[in-house]
Amino acid sequence: MMNKLIELKNLTKNFDDQQVLRGINLDIYEKEFLTLLGPSGCGKTTTLRIIAGFEEPSDGEVLFNGIEISKLPPYKREVNTVFQKYALFPHLNVAENIGFGLNLKKVDKTVIAQKVERMLKMVGLEGFGKRDVTLLSGGQQQRVAIARALINEPKVLLLDEPLGALDAKIRKQMQVELKKIQQEVGITFIYVTHDQEEALSMSDTVVVMNNGEIQQIGSPTDIYNEPENRFVAGFIGESNIIEGTMIRDYLVAFDGFEFECVDKGFEDNEEIEVVLRPEDLDIVDPGQAKIRGIVRNITFKGVHYEILIETELRTYMVHTTDYAEVGREVGLKFGPEDIHVMCKMGSY
Amino acid sequence: MKQYRNLIKPYLVWAFVVIVIPLILIALYAFTEDGNEVLTFSFTLENFRKFLEATYMSVIFKSFKLGILTTVICLGLGYPLAYIISKCPEKSQSLLILLVTIPEWINMLLRTYAWMNLLSDNGIINHLLGLLGISPVTMMYTDFSVVVGLVCNFMPFMIIPIHTSLSKMDKSFIEAAYDLGANKFQTFTKVIWKLSIPGVLNGIMMVFLLSISTFVIPKLLGGGQYMLIGNLIESQFISVGDWNFGSAISLILAVLILIFMSLMKKMDKDE
Amino acid sequence: MKRNNKFFSMLYVVLCLAFFYLPILVTMIFSFNSSKSLTRFTGFSLRWYQELLGNGEVIKAVYVSVTIAIIATIVSTILGTITAIGLSKSKKVIKELLLSINNIPILNPEIVTAISLMLLFSSLGFRKGYLTMLLAHIAFCTPYVITSVYPKVRALDPNMANAAMDLGATPFQALTKVIVPMIKEGIFAGALLAFTMSFDDFVISYFVSGNGVKNISIVVYNMTKRINPTINALSTIVIVVIIVVLLLSNLLPKFKNKARKLNRKAVKIVSIVLVVAVTAGLIKWGFVAQSTHVLKVYNAGEYMDLSLLEDFEKEYDCTIVYETFESNEMMYTKLSSGETYDVLIPSDYMIERLIKEEYLQALDWKEIPNKKNLLDDVMNQSYDPGNRYSCPYFWGTVGILYDKTVVDEADLKDGWNLLRNPKYKGNIYMYDSERDSFMIALKALGYSMNTTNESEIEEAYQWLIDQRDTMDPIYAGDDVIDNMISGNKALAVVYSGDASYIISENPNLDYFTPEQGTNRWYDAMVITKDCSEVQLAHEFINFMISDKSALSNTEEVGYTSTVKSAFETMKEGDYAGISSYIPDTTNLNNEIFAYQKPKIKQKFAELWTKVKAK
Repeated sequence: MMNKLIELKNLTKNFDDQQVLRGINLDIYEKEFLTLLGPSGCGKTTTLRIIAGFEEPSDGEVLFNGIEISKLPPYKREVNTVFQKYALFPHLNVAENIGFGLNLKKVDKTVIAQKVERMLKMVGLEGFGKRDVTLLSGGQQQRVAIARALINEPKVLLLDEPLGALDAKIRKQMQVELKKIQQEVGITFIYVTHDQEEALSMSDTVVVMNNGEIQQIGSPTDIYNEPENRFVAGFIGESNIIEGTMIRDYLVAFDGFEFECVDKGFEDNEEIEVVLRPEDLDIVDPGQAKIRGIVRNITFKGVHYEILIETELRTYMVHTTDYAEVGREVGLKFGPEDIHVMCKMGSY
Repeated sequence: MKQYRNLIKPYLVWAFVVIVIPLILIALYAFTEDGNEVLTFSFTLENFRKFLEATYMSVIFKSFKLGILTTVICLGLGYPLAYIISKCPEKSQSLLILLVTIPEWINMLLRTYAWMNLLSDNGIINHLLGLLGISPVTMMYTDFSVVVGLVCNFMPFMIIPIHTSLSKMDKSFIEAAYDLGANKFQTFTKVIWKLSIPGVLNGIMMVFLLSISTFVIPKLLGGGQYMLIGNLIESQFISVGDWNFGSAISLILAVLILIFMSLMKKMDKDE
Repeated sequence: MKRNNKFFSMLYVVLCLAFFYLPILVTMIFSFNSSKSLTRFTGFSLRWYQELLGNGEVIKAVYVSVTIAIIATIVSTILGTITAIGLSKSKKVIKELLLSINNIPILNPEIVTAISLMLLFSSLGFRKGYLTMLLAHIAFCTPYVITSVYPKVRALDPNMANAAMDLGATPFQALTKVIVPMIKEGIFAGALLAFTMSFDDFVISYFVSGNGVKNISIVVYNMTKRINPTINALSTIVIVVIIVVLLLSNLLPKFKNKARKLNRKAVKIVSIVLVVAVTAGLIKWGFVAQSTHVLKVYNAGEYMDLSLLEDFEKEYDCTIVYETFESNEMMYTKLSSGETYDVLIPSDYMIERLIKEEYLQALDWKEIPNKKNLLDDVMNQSYDPGNRYSCPYFWGTVGILYDKTVVDEADLKDGWNLLRNPKYKGNIYMYDSERDSFMIALKALGYSMNTTNESEIEEAYQWLIDQRDTMDPIYAGDDVIDNMISGNKALAVVYSGDASYIISENPNLDYFTPEQGTNRWYDAMVITKDCSEVQLAHEFINFMISDKSALSNTEEVGYTSTVKSAFETMKEGDYAGISSYIPDTTNLNNEIFAYQKPKIKQKFAELWTKVKAK
C-alpha cells in the first residue's frame, strides 16, 4: 500500500444547530482515486470543503502528511479544487485563468506560458489560450478548471461534483479522461459525487456516506458485491433486500426457506438482511426453484428485461435477457454466491 | 405574442413629445438669438463663441474638478462600506442597505440646510468645538462645505451599485482564488475588485453625473461665488434671462456628459 | 485579530451612517426647538408643529407633492410596464431606438431635462401649474420604470404568454394573470423609484411649475429667506413616516401577508381618495380657477403677513392665489412666459420696465381711499411719476450691516470702501444680485448707479473683481439673514428691512448707508393689464394700506411701512433705536434704480456672472 497522505480523525461539523458531520474517520493514500459518494445533504461536500480549507471542522483533526492543518487557510494548503460550476474568473481569458496560481507565486512569465501550454495540451484545449472563458462549452470549461488546479502541482486534487453540469455523453467521455489525467499526473484525487455509476467506474476507493456518517469504505467491487448495510445496498445499484435469519455460518433463512451461502461470522440465529441483485436472479420453471411467483410486469430496458415477480411475501425484481410472459408462474433461482448477507440496521 | 407589440405605441408617441422634441428645442434655442419665450429663427453661433471665454471655461473646469473630486471621495469611502455590508449576514445586509437608502428619501434641500446649520461659522459644529476650547473653523462657503454636501447626498448612489455587484458575486470565485494560492489581499485585488468593476463604473457614472450638474448644493453651501455649470445654466434662465445662451450651455453639458458616458461604457467593455 | 477587524468594520459602517444621518438628526432635533434659532437648542417645544398646521402654504405643498408623486408613480408604472412588455416583442431597430431615447432623461443632467421641458411647455403655450408639473414628473419617472421592468421581462420565458393563451386566456388576461405577476418585483422596484424621484424632485419642478403650485421642495427653497423650523417639523414628520413604512415593510414579512389580504380593499380606497384629491387639486389650481372671484397675487418670498390674505378672503368673499418669487427678474421671466397675475408687488425699476412694456394698467385712485394713509416721502418717485400705476408697499435703502464689536466706528467714514478694508478680509457678505453689487461699485467710484457709460461699467467691474480678489467675500443670498443673526461675519450688504429684523434679533449689529449714496428703493403694488378682477384688485391694494393691515404687515416682515401710522408706531415701539427702519431721504447721492435696456441689463448680468465665476 501507498503512504497515508490525509487522515481525517473524528471530524464533526455543525451549522447553526444542525450537525452535518458526525465523526468522520478516513485515511486517504497517495495516488489514490477516492470518491465520496452519497445523496445530497450527506456531508460529502462539507468533508471536501474541510479538506480544502473553506470550512473549519467543529471538532476533530485533519492531518496532512501527519501535520494538523485544519486551521490553515486554503491558500497555504497543497490541495487544489475543481468547483462544481468551475468558478472560472470571467474577467480573465483561458490562459490567464490557468496561469492564475503561478502568477500569484510570481513565477517567471515565460515559464508560466510554457506550463499553461502544457496544461492546455494535457486537457485537450490546445490553441484555446486567448479565448473568453464565458464563451466555452461546459466540457471545455471543465477542462480549464482542471488545468487551472493541476498547474499548481498540488498533492491532492479535490473535485466537487465536477461533471454534474454536463450532459450524459460528455460526462462519460470526461470520466475516462479524468481517470487518464489522474494516472498521468499521479496524484491523489478526492472526488465528490452522488452518481453511483460514476463512483464505481472511476474510483480506487469509494466512501459511501449518509446523514453525516460513513457507511462503508471499500473498492468498487466490494461496495457493490458486499454492501455492509441496507443503505449501501439500496443506494448502489438496484437490489432485492429481504429480511432473514442467519441460522449458522454458511446457512441463511428467508421467505420460509433455508439457503446455503458463502457468508460467515454472524451469530447463530442473528436477524440479518439479504441482498439479491436483480441480475443475479434467473427465471426457471417453477419446479426447479424454492421461491415461486407470478410474472406481473415486464419492461424492455434495452440490454435486458426488467421483470417483476410477485411471490407470496414480496415482489422480486429480476434483470434477465430472457423473455417471460405476464401471468405465468415461474421459479426464482440463485446460487450461494449470489446471496449477500448484511447486518440489519435501522429504518433506511 | 405580436399583439403585444402595439403596447409600445403610446410611449413611442409620449417619448417623442417629452424627450425628443424638448431636446430639439434646446438645440434650436442654442443656435438662435434674441429668443426668450418665443423661438426666433435667426441662426447664430454666438452663444457657443461666448462660451469659449475664459470665465465660462473656468466654470466648466471647476465643475469637472469638483465632480471628479466628489466621485473619487464617494468611491474611496463608499467602496469599503459596500464591501463590509456585502460581508454581513443576509438579514443585516438588507437592513444596512435600507439604512443607506432612507436618507435619499428625504428632501435634498432639507439635508443641505441642515449642513448649513452644522457648518456655519457660528454653527453647531463650531459651537461644540468651542465647548471643547477649540477656536472656530471656517467651513461654510468653502470647497469643504460643498464637497461634504455633495458626498453626503450622492454617496448612496455609489454604494448601491457596488454592493449589488459584490453581493451577487458567486462565492466560489473567492474560494477558487484562495484555493489557487491567493491570500486575502491578492484575492481582493485580483478577483473581487475586478469582478465588481461594472458596479464601480455604474456608481462613478451616477455620482459624477449628479455632482457635475447640481446647482442647489453649491449655491447653498458654497455661496454665490461658487459658480458651477448648473448654476450658470440656472442663472441664464432665471436671473440673466438669456435663454439662448442657457440652452447652448445645456447642450454643451449634455454633449460632454454623453462623451463621458460613452468613454465609461467603453472602459466597461474593455474590462 | 479577526475580532479586531470586525470591530473596525462595524465602526466604519456606524461612522458612515452617522455622516448620512447627521443632517437628518439635526433637522429633527431643531424641529423641537423652542426658539427660532437653527444652531442653538434653547428648549423643547412643539410650537413649530402647531405653526405647521396653521401654515396653509406648507399644507398645500404637501398635498401637491403627495398627489403628484402618487399619480406620477401610477401613470409611469403602468406606462412603463406595458412599454417594457411591448419592447420585448418589438423589432430590434425599434427596440434599440426606443431604449436609447428612454435613456436620455436618465443620462442627461437633471437641469437639462428641466429646461427642455420648460421650453416645451412654453412653446406649446401651456399654463404652468399642477398639470405641467404632473406631466413633467411622468416624463422623468417613466424611463426609470422601464429600466427596472424591462430586464425582468426579458428574463421571462418567451413562451409564457403563449402558454397562457393556449390554455384559453385572452391576450389581456395573459398579460394581467401571467406576465405581470411574474415581473411584479421589477414593477414594484420601478414604482418605488418613481415615487422617490417624484416626491423629492426639486430641479424639474422648479422650472416647470407656476401659478402658485409648489411642491415641498420649492417651498423649502423659497424659505431660504428667514428659514424657520416649521419646515423642520414637516420634514421630521415625513422622515418618521418614511422610516416607519420602510422598516415595517422590510422587517415584518408577516405584515406583508396580512397586507395582501387587505390589498384589494386598500387599492380601491386609495384610488377613490386619489381621484377625489386630484379632482379637487385640478379644480383648485388648474382649469377652473377663474370661475369664482379669484385674485392672483405675485409677491417676493416672505414679504407679507399671510394672515392678512385670509382676512381679506373672508372680508371680500374671494380666493387669493398667492405666489412668491425669488427676484424681480424671476417674476419678469414668469410674466413674460405667459403667466397671468392680477396684482404684482415688484420693485421700482421693474415697475418702470413693466410700464414701458405695457404690462400694467393705471390705478383708479378713487377706489383706494386709504391713499391718505401713505407717507409723503414714498409718493411721486422717479419710477412712476404721479403714481399712475403703483401704490407703494414697502420702502428702504441698501446699506452695510456691521458688527459693532468687531468693526471700528472710525472705518465707517470710508463708506462703501469699507468693503475693501483689508482688516475685514474674509469677513464680508456681499449680496448676490448684480444690480446691488454694481450699485456699490459705481457709488464707491462716484458714478451714478444708473449709468450706461461703458467705461464706467468696466471700472465698476474692475472694482468688484479687485474686491473679490483681495477680500474673499461671500456672495450670499437671503441666507445672509440667518448668518448675520448668528453673527457669522462682521460686515454684510443688506436691505434696510432685513437689517431691521436682523438687528432686532442681534443687538450687536448696526446699519449705515454710506455718504457716497445708495439705492433708495420702493416696492409697490401694481395691477396687470390682463387683470380679470380689477375691482377686487383695487380693494386688495386699499386693504393692504389700511392702518391695521400695514401695521401687522410691517411687524411681521420687518420692512419699513409706507403707511404713516404704522411707520410711526414701529419707529417709537418695536424698532425704536434701529436706524435701518428709517430710510435716509436726505442724502442727495441716493438714487432709485431706473429701467435698464435689455442690452445693458444683460451686460450687467453677464459681468456679474463673471465676477462670481472667476
